[in-house]
Amino acid sequence: MKKLYKDPVNLIVSGVGGQGNVMVSLVLGNALVAGGYFITIGETYGASQRGGSVMSHVRISSEKQFSPLIAEGQGDIIVGMEPVETLRMLKQFGNMNVVTIVNPRPIHAVDLIGSGAGAYPDLPKLLGQIKDLSAKTYVVHATDEAQKMGNPMLANMILIGALLKTGLLPLDETALDTVIKEMFPKAVAPNIKALKAGMELVSILR
Amino acid sequence: MVTKTKGIGDLFKEVIDKGLCTVCGACVGDCPYMVFYRGKIRMLDFCNRTEGHCYEYCPRTYTDMDAISNKIHGASYSGDEIGTARQVLMARAGDVKTRTKGQYGGAVSALLALALDNSLIDAAILSKNTDDKLPSGFVARSAAQVLEGAGSNYMAYPALEALNRMPKDSKDKLGIVVTPCQAIALAKMTASPPTQRVSMSNVQLSIGLFCTWALAYDRFYEFLKNNVSPAKIKKFDIPPPPANRLDIYIDKEVKSYPLDDIRNYRMSTCAYCLDMTAEFTDISVGAAEGVDGWNTLIVRTQRGSEIVDAAVKGGKLETRELPASNLKHLKEAALLKKTRAMAEIVKRTGDKNDLLYLGMSKTVRDKLLS
Amino acid sequence: MANIDINAAGQSQLFIGNEAIARGALEAGIGFASAYPGTPSSEIIGSLAEVAKKQNIYVEWSVNEAVALEAAAAASYAGLRSLAAMKMNGLNVASDFLATIVLSGIGKKGLVLMVGDDPAAHSSSNEEDSRAVSKWLDIPMVEPGDFQEAKDMMKWLYELSEEIGSICMLRSVTRVAHARGNVRLGEIPATEHKARFENILDPRNTMPTSIMTIPTPLRHAFQHMKLDKARARFEESSFNRYVGPEKPDLLIITCGSGWLYAQDAVNTLKLESRVGILKLGTIWPLPENLVKKCLARADKVLFLEETDPFLEATIMEYSSSLSLESRRNIFYGKHTRHINAFGELTPDAVIKAIAAVLDIKYEVRDAAYVKKIEAVPQDYIMERMLTFCPGCPHRASYWSIKNALMMDGRGGFVTGDIGCYSMALGPAGFFMNRTHQCMGAGSGLANGFGQLWRFGFDQPVIAVCGDSTFYHSIMPALVNGVHNRANFVLVIFDNGATAMTGFQPHPGTELTAMGEPAQQISMEAICQAIGARVEICDPFDLKATTATLLDLLEQEQGARVAIMRRPCELVRSKKEKPPYKVKIDPEKCLGDDCGCNRLCSRVFRCPALVWDPVAGKTRIDEVICSGCGVCVDICPEGAISKEEVVLA
Repeated sequence: MKKLYKDPVNLIVSGVGGQGNVMVSLVLGNALVAGGYFITIGETYGASQRGGSVMSHVRISSEKQFSPLIAEGQGDIIVGMEPVETLRMLKQFGNMNVVTIVNPRPIHAVDLIGSGAGAYPDLPKLLGQIKDLSAKTYVVHATDEAQKMGNPMLANMILIGALLKTGLLPLDETALDTVIKEMFPKAVAPNIKALKAGMELVSILR
Repeated sequence: MVTKTKGIGDLFKEVIDKGLCTVCGACVGDCPYMVFYRGKIRMLDFCNRTEGHCYEYCPRTYTDMDAISNKIHGASYSGDEIGTARQVLMARAGDVKTRTKGQYGGAVSALLALALDNSLIDAAILSKNTDDKLPSGFVARSAAQVLEGAGSNYMAYPALEALNRMPKDSKDKLGIVVTPCQAIALAKMTASPPTQRVSMSNVQLSIGLFCTWALAYDRFYEFLKNNVSPAKIKKFDIPPPPANRLDIYIDKEVKSYPLDDIRNYRMSTCAYCLDMTAEFTDISVGAAEGVDGWNTLIVRTQRGSEIVDAAVKGGKLETRELPASNLKHLKEAALLKKTRAMAEIVKRTGDKNDLLYLGMSKTVRDKLLS
Repeated sequence: MANIDINAAGQSQLFIGNEAIARGALEAGIGFASAYPGTPSSEIIGSLAEVAKKQNIYVEWSVNEAVALEAAAAASYAGLRSLAAMKMNGLNVASDFLATIVLSGIGKKGLVLMVGDDPAAHSSSNEEDSRAVSKWLDIPMVEPGDFQEAKDMMKWLYELSEEIGSICMLRSVTRVAHARGNVRLGEIPATEHKARFENILDPRNTMPTSIMTIPTPLRHAFQHMKLDKARARFEESSFNRYVGPEKPDLLIITCGSGWLYAQDAVNTLKLESRVGILKLGTIWPLPENLVKKCLARADKVLFLEETDPFLEATIMEYSSSLSLESRRNIFYGKHTRHINAFGELTPDAVIKAIAAVLDIKYEVRDAAYVKKIEAVPQDYIMERMLTFCPGCPHRASYWSIKNALMMDGRGGFVTGDIGCYSMALGPAGFFMNRTHQCMGAGSGLANGFGQLWRFGFDQPVIAVCGDSTFYHSIMPALVNGVHNRANFVLVIFDNGATAMTGFQPHPGTELTAMGEPAQQISMEAICQAIGARVEICDPFDLKATTATLLDLLEQEQGARVAIMRRPCELVRSKKEKPPYKVKIDPEKCLGDDCGCNRLCSRVFRCPALVWDPVAGKTRIDEVICSGCGVCVDICPEGAISKEEVVLA
């Protein structure tokens, strides 16, 4: 079993209800459990489907089961599927060492912004804040890439690929391939393609 | 016209919730936030704009009488009993059918029929009664359709709503029948025309109705339901003084009610209205005192004059000289409404410098308060 | 949901607590499971239903929690291990039967009641700590501290239930029931379920042997004896654990979610040598000897639990019975305000409490980083409010309800109930719901209001409920209303599913929990049979619906029903394509001008109607637009149009 760079690794996946947050944490969780690690995932559920903020806390350990919620300031890796949600996580769980992956595709607060009562923040400034609050930031245009592939929902797998390439998690492509075959038997090829695309996007950034 | 425009919040605060609304309809028909239902203007949602046509056109928000008088008649507001009048006549429809269906002499119906027939207007905005005798706005495009709307039921009805509902890009030349308060709202709309509605320049003819007061829709309707079968009513009539009664024609019979009882169903806001003869229109029409089957007709503008002439020439309208005593009584009655209203207003505000919604010169004010 | 009957004994799976409980039930060989949907308990019956046929067991979504518990009890009487599951409010609904089955006893096979609490009310209308019921009604109760325990406790609990002959309870909370963790699986036994109720009358036997609660005081005494037996088992149970030094400076006593939080906090504060943790898996009755031994380890004791100070109170109560020398502890917890007595337990609160009790300084984050956080503009992190989905029929229904009540003008109001439509407390439903309590509350209140005309009350009342709610608890209220001639309108939102909790079936739907054809029960037939006037509306037809509501309001007398019938958009969209392509003509759109002022995006607020402040117009977000076309009738300018989507 490959050693973790710290124990536990506190990973947060954040986004907007309906983006596939739960799926990302499940894919990673299943892959890591198969690898022999203790995984605890805590998330917001249910009503969050209807446009609210969602976050999944993923605790990864080779020793024991950790609690389903990460304490303030103890995030290690943030996978942000949406920029405002990424910043929201950094505000509460960020610290000097946190590594952030962000998909820079805004999703309007349907009630606040759609109704005209508020405005989405300036995106470059928002990304600037995210970079300022992270030790290292990877901006991964996952939705754009997924749309090129013809399915915006593939953004999730692209982000997983990106995370893989950072090397922060004890996972390789093979481990993910196995999980993809188990969890998405009817859509293996597009998911693997997305995974590779994510890895490529991070390679370019290095 | 208006010193400061405000929005729906102030409209309700200053006018509607204060019981001053005359149900003229200037604020409804084109606004999704308000609707006229069962005698009242109801707010469906809050439009949070601080400026709106609703407040701007309301005849019970600040009304500069000089500005209006100047706009319509080119002269300041004098406070004269029946306002600007080129001619005051007796008139009736040229044909019997119109006379019978119409109120008193059927002059309004006749004028509109003429205007439509001569293509001076393409459509007339009137009200007509539903089976339950609740008035509703409708657009007449022929003389026959005009007759459907003939007859008064003395209830306040938001006629201007029908104007606001006209399609924005309509090219129709319009005629409209209005009460005095509606005429004021119409004048405000003409002075500051809305851009998102049918163009005010389409309005070619406004015919005003004499009005002492109007009955509150919901309360009067309750009275009707309790006393007669509304669907059977053929016609309403309040004969000129000294009759002092309301006649309701049902099939063959006529039921009469003391006007003093009927007055209980008046809208309270009418107590603050100075205008009995609808001074800010092209032509005003009312009953002819003591003369059955004839109207009193006041010609006020050039446009009004042209139409009356055409109607007489075309045989649509018969006119006669108005007896001097009629004119005297008319002026007395009109002046009485003015002085009574002014007294009520000052009683309510407690300060003769605060005329509730009216703006006029001190001279005119003092004249009417004396 | 995960496949809970996966053939992988000995392997670790990632399960949520509820899936672990369901797996545990299978490994215990249950034959019967019933529930009413309620967060955080729904996935138990949800996941069991998916494997029911394969596992040859019976699983049911019952009409309400009382029936669910009663049905499960019957299975126990007939010789099947059975399970009933519900959220804490469901426990309230089932509590009368619970109180009496404690005295009347179970059958030969065990009966377990799972209750899921929701501290902080993430998905509930109130906060409630169900552990109190164990002490109140004398019921043995356990609570898992992690996901493995959630599974392992089930078999153990059935054995206990059978040994002592009593219903037993398993309580869990959101942060365990809905969190995911490693669960090493066991075997699922091949059980042959044979059902027979043995307790029938034998005329030769003069002793009364019915399953009953009398003689009650005696049976109450029997239950206490059963608790004593349970206590003896609890003293030995491996679900109660102590970790830490022999003589710590601080003893933490915890259960449930507190177990993992406490370990995390001790880890973070690096206090392994100073802090000991007693984790109780057996909640009631108290394993007194074990507790006594642990209390002797340390002076300072901190209780970590959610939501109420249950262990705190019961253990402090117990400790007062100890000898004076043994009573040396200083207790910290909710009564000392070290932990909040409302809301949920959080890792931050736990860290703070431990640091406070031991007087330790703990810097959460580097001060320089905190400065950076504080410099982030507040409006960069906007709140995302809950609202109805695009295409939700509730939005359209509430538009008509609002307009009808405003036009009616007599100060009418809506009494709310539980479901997605509860969101009408807020802007999503134009703030129409003016009261909000529990299932059935809206109609109950309306019954009261509907009699107050005697005292000058003249405001129209509209009680709302969902379709699932109707069968759950509205029917008696409607009977009461019609019989007593109360004046109110009942609006039933019939969207064809128990939507809020995950689209479970109910008596109005076509299929059962196990996917078999169900006997559909017509709600309008019920309402008519009760004697109410019933109108059926299509909420997407705003004009007709408003007119019908106005007509119903005008009637004033008696109980009247309007059924708003349109499928839930999330359910519909899984089966069909969007019916219309909806477009906004920017030329006609007035934007925020007088005559409109963004009525569609600002007031109607469908998420797919997005205000573009730069263009000064509203536009359609095509990605989320459901194509329902209702907004076409909202726009006062006719700027929104819809085109039927023709399938190629």
